[in-house]
Amino acid sequence: MKRRDFLKTSVYAATAMTFLPDKSFLHGQSTIPDLVVVKDGTPESMVRKAVEELGGMSRFVSRGDVVVLKANISWDRAPAQAATTNPDVVAEVVRLCIDAGAKKVKVFDRTLNEPRRCYKRSGIEKAAKEAGAEVQHILERKFKKVKFPNGELIKSWELYRDVLEADRIINIPIAKHHSIGGISLGMKNFMGFLGGNRGKFHRDFDVKIVDLNTKVKADLTILDAYRMLLRNGPSGGNLADVELKKIVVAGIDPVAMDSYGATLFGLQAGRIQFMQNAYQRGLGQFDLTKLSIKTFTLVS
Amino acid sequence: MQLARRISQIVFLLFFFVLFFLATYPLTSKIPVDFFLRMDPLLGLSSTLAGRALFIKIIPPLVLLLLSLVVGRFFCGWICPMGTTIDGFDNTVRTKKKKEKTSNHLKWIKFSILVVVVVAALMSVQLAGFVDPIPLFTRTVVTVLYPLFVWAIDGFMGFMMSISFLEEPIFRLNESLRGIILPINISYFRQSVFIAIIFIVILGLGYYHRRFWCRNLCPLGALLGIFSKFRWYRRRVSDACTDCGVCRKICRMDAIAPDFRNTDQVECISCMDCIAVCPVNAVSFGFTKSRESVKVDYNRRRLLTAGTTGLFTIGLLKIGFSKPSLKGKVVRPPGAFEEPVFLDRCIRCGECIRVCSTSGVGLQYATLESGWEGIWTPILLPKVGYCEYNCNMCGQVCPTGAIKSIPLEERQKIKMGTAHFDKTRCIPWYYGENCMVCEEHCPLPDKAIKFREEETVTIDGKETTVLLPYVDESLCIGCGICVNRCPVEGERGIFLTNADEERWID
Repeated sequence: MKRRDFLKTSVYAATAMTFLPDKSFLHGQSTIPDLVVVKDGTPESMVRKAVEELGGMSRFVSRGDVVVLKANISWDRAPAQAATTNPDVVAEVVRLCIDAGAKKVKVFDRTLNEPRRCYKRSGIEKAAKEAGAEVQHILERKFKKVKFPNGELIKSWELYRDVLEADRIINIPIAKHHSIGGISLGMKNFMGFLGGNRGKFHRDFDVKIVDLNTKVKADLTILDAYRMLLRNGPSGGNLADVELKKIVVAGIDPVAMDSYGATLFGLQAGRIQFMQNAYQRGLGQFDLTKLSIKTFTLVS
Repeated sequence: MQLARRISQIVFLLFFFVLFFLATYPLTSKIPVDFFLRMDPLLGLSSTLAGRALFIKIIPPLVLLLLSLVVGRFFCGWICPMGTTIDGFDNTVRTKKKKEKTSNHLKWIKFSILVVVVVAALMSVQLAGFVDPIPLFTRTVVTVLYPLFVWAIDGFMGFMMSISFLEEPIFRLNESLRGIILPINISYFRQSVFIAIIFIVILGLGYYHRRFWCRNLCPLGALLGIFSKFRWYRRRVSDACTDCGVCRKICRMDAIAPDFRNTDQVECISCMDCIAVCPVNAVSFGFTKSRESVKVDYNRRRLLTAGTTGLFTIGLLKIGFSKPSLKGKVVRPPGAFEEPVFLDRCIRCGECIRVCSTSGVGLQYATLESGWEGIWTPILLPKVGYCEYNCNMCGQVCPTGAIKSIPLEERQKIKMGTAHFDKTRCIPWYYGENCMVCEEHCPLPDKAIKFREEETVTIDGKETTVLLPYVDESLCIGCGICVNRCPVEGERGIFLTNADEERWID
């Protein structure tokens, strides 16, 4: 199913539902929550459970889709250093996409250290390839300057061609401390799709990061908090700054996802400027009390 | 035999390029990628004399020298990648009909160059790297030939991609070639034009006569020639010879005497062309007891002149205004020996620059930053590229040990220099706005860039608090990634010097 068909069907379904006399089932026990939190499993089992509780991967990926996964492969760091997304999480998402009938699953990131080193040491290249994904290095030529029609400060920027052409985008950030953003979660993770001088993004970061997220939207976000980098982020390097949390969160609303991610660091989204901006500009809900959140603890 | 030689030349040239492509991350090649440099006796001699230390890797050059004693200058004719390139150029560009010229009046020059190099080495100055064909060719491949190749392929792909139906297949082709014959990221090198000019001149001299460089200029050829003078394996001419003179006419080294029977053992590179052209099959190669040789045109006066010239050249280099304390921006790769030893050992081959271009791209050829003596030595230019924290490849490929090969954990503690903030450029310091790109990239587990929160006034006069970055100089190792990634355009908000650098001492 193509994105357009999916949207059409969704619109029909939504329209149909408004005519239904009893809408209570939409809020009842049987409905799909906004966020699913899974704890204490292996990375794979937690991802599987989270996606299943969100309605299964077939809700997000249709047969024949080209899916882009945005894992964080920024740094030449090992998985234990928690500066890059857990490779087992990435691999499981790849498998789920392929099982759902994806034609192609692409994994790439514009890295900040030497690309081959990052792909290798993070373990993501190997894990994702074995799971059946296409793992390629960024090709400078594939960046295309595009307009950000809803951007406040960023009116246009170089975006990766594969992202623009993807049927589905799944964001798989790792929960990390970030010295200025406070924390680096899903919305920040999309910076890996950008070309050009990204350093410039850090001035007025709180506005620009929202600008980016008005242009690139994930169909699904899966937050890897299996290990969390609590200090000296985003590149870390010190094992003492890493905590084994064994949490995976999944959801559609990018602001809700980041907002929940913030609570893992003991922070409140209401105090984080970019999340507020994102809410005000209609990207999603940061107020967790207004969301349905389901938590599962896996017994291992 | 002529065919065997051609095959050998092509195989070794291909081998040279294979090693070149292997000189990249992850550097797992079993054969040392600096194979050709390591077997070069002139480099061995010069670095040993200049560096005042016997090479551990001295065995391969000695083998080559001993082989030359027996079979002569076969290296030039059968192995040398420079010689092969010159042959290729001579054969394709030179008009075939052109009469070969003799060049006895120029052959002495290479011996003079050799003497200058050796005298310089004795005075502890490394000149071999500039004139020895192996580092010369390596340098040319690294900074000229390969970048040109990449530029051409990349440009061609860019052109093809503009044809819409070819876009997708070309992208796929581009992706599959990368990391094999195309680099992951295209890098550029300083001094390319200058190095190219030297190479073009060397090839262009072939217009005058074939193998001009090898006959008249190459100091490695001179050294091997001296060892070849009393070789056992040599050209023999039987009585069948009809004095037709074809062999002398086609000899690329002008090594055959006017009587067509005697051979200049110093010059003959055993290319076997004379066997192939002889109409009566009178020429052969084999072991003989004869020790006769043609007299070579070099005399004591010329050698003395060369020696004296060498001495004054070195004097000029040494009186150059190049106090180390004035070379604050000269940051050397991690594990580089203390400057005098480093300068003595570095042969400017560019192996370190090659591997670095596949990783952090930080190493570039120096121009005059470290004086005339330091021309073409590697320096870290953080605005161009940075030193990758998890990389120690430059030390691994250095053929002369000018950069020590150091285990990764140890190398990560070596201080190459120190970063300093330019408070008139840095965003938090000057504009009063938060920025953390330098800190974000700092690879050290404890971050050599730290913040302190301070009240400040922004550039338009508003009072605010800002996180001001500062360098913890005890932690900073001077890798330069902060400079490289600083978003401030023009001059960066942070710069790198060699302050407190730790250089290797044996």
